Amino acid sequence: MRLGVLLAALLFTAGPLTAQMGDLSAHAPKSKSYVIYDAEPQVIRAGKRSVVEMRFRVVDGFHVNSHTPKSELLIPTKITLQPATGVKAEAAEYPAGTPFSFSFNPKETLDVYAGDFVVKLPVIASAGAHEIDGTMRYQACDHAACYPPKNLPVQLIFTAK
Amino acid sequence: MKRNALVLGVMIVGISLMLWAGWHNLRTRRIAMQQAEANHVTLIPGKAGEPGQMDQGEEAPPEDAGTRLKGKAAPGFTLTSLDGKKVSLADYKGRPVLVNFWATWCGPCKVEMPWFEELRKQYAAQGFEILGLASDIDVGKDTISKVAHQAGVTYPILLADDKVQTAYGGVDYLPMSFYVDRNGAVIEVTAGLGSKDEIEVNIKKAIASGMTATVKGGE
Repeated sequence: MRLGVLLAALLFTAGPLTAQMGDLSAHAPKSKSYVIYDAEPQVIRAGKRSVVEMRFRVVDGFHVNSHTPKSELLIPTKITLQPATGVKAEAAEYPAGTPFSFSFNPKETLDVYAGDFVVKLPVIASAGAHEIDGTMRYQACDHAACYPPKNLPVQLIFTAK
Repeated sequence: MKRNALVLGVMIVGISLMLWAGWHNLRTRRIAMQQAEANHVTLIPGKAGEPGQMDQGEEAPPEDAGTRLKGKAAPGFTLTSLDGKKVSLADYKGRPVLVNFWATWCGPCKVEMPWFEELRKQYAAQGFEILGLASDIDVGKDTISKVAHQAGVTYPILLADDKVQTAYGGVDYLPMSFYVDRNGAVIEVTAGLGSKDEIEVNIKKAIASGMTATVKGGE
């Protein structure tokens, strides 16, 4: 009996909490930015090769070309970062894309990012707080149309300890 | 003893679930806030007869771009074609014209271009013409020409400048087509890829619209 009451109380409390997890796709059709950058501060080891992550989310209903699209005419997703004092950065590591075909042209398969994707940046940083500024260039499409290329500002914030 | 362990286990799972939900909620809110900031657009009313302007570097949402031109006179333009000739919309006065904005990186655009070519031939006797306005001129004439050739296009391809794109509502969504009747009025605007049948219906509308006025004018 006591166990049942406890379980009911937990479900009652957890329900509203999970319901609060917003729906990012709700405003997708009116979106002007088709990719969102989640600038979460990170902590890495000072003086050691570590990896900082750049987390992105493509707005529901859209996709962007991967870093290695299958045609030279397509615009790849590419991040350009500014040099930062105390940070030695290697080349960014992009995830593999997923195959995608437009319903009106199923024979042609594209290589795209949709939903969440993470770009990794190996760095060696001196102890302290660091910021790396940059931009991500991407070109988005939905199921029937494409949008001109955009530049998304990116700021990597991390502390090396 | 067993019962106490079970209660403890349930409590641990419950608290973990609540902590996870709280963290997830915080992260989602942060992303949503960034999205809201990114979507912020300030509309500045334009002068009478001119489209509204957006704040610095902003663009109109897709559903608004260009659609305000429907029922109005198609903005005039003079652009350079792939073979270096100056082509104006005014050159086609009295003819129904489809003004189609496209780009080499736009997959849906390249799907409809062969349809346009076919329909252009089909309705040529009624004076129908298509002007393809390439909006990514930075890739160069050769690339644009190659893509148009691959799509089997023989109608004029013009190099669109910023001025014409602004005049047609920013063209923030490709493909975008403006169906202009014989009187130079935009009678239909479409954004995104439609079916070939829909395109043909709009071409017929453009051909039919203004026909009476033209006949009367010619009497």
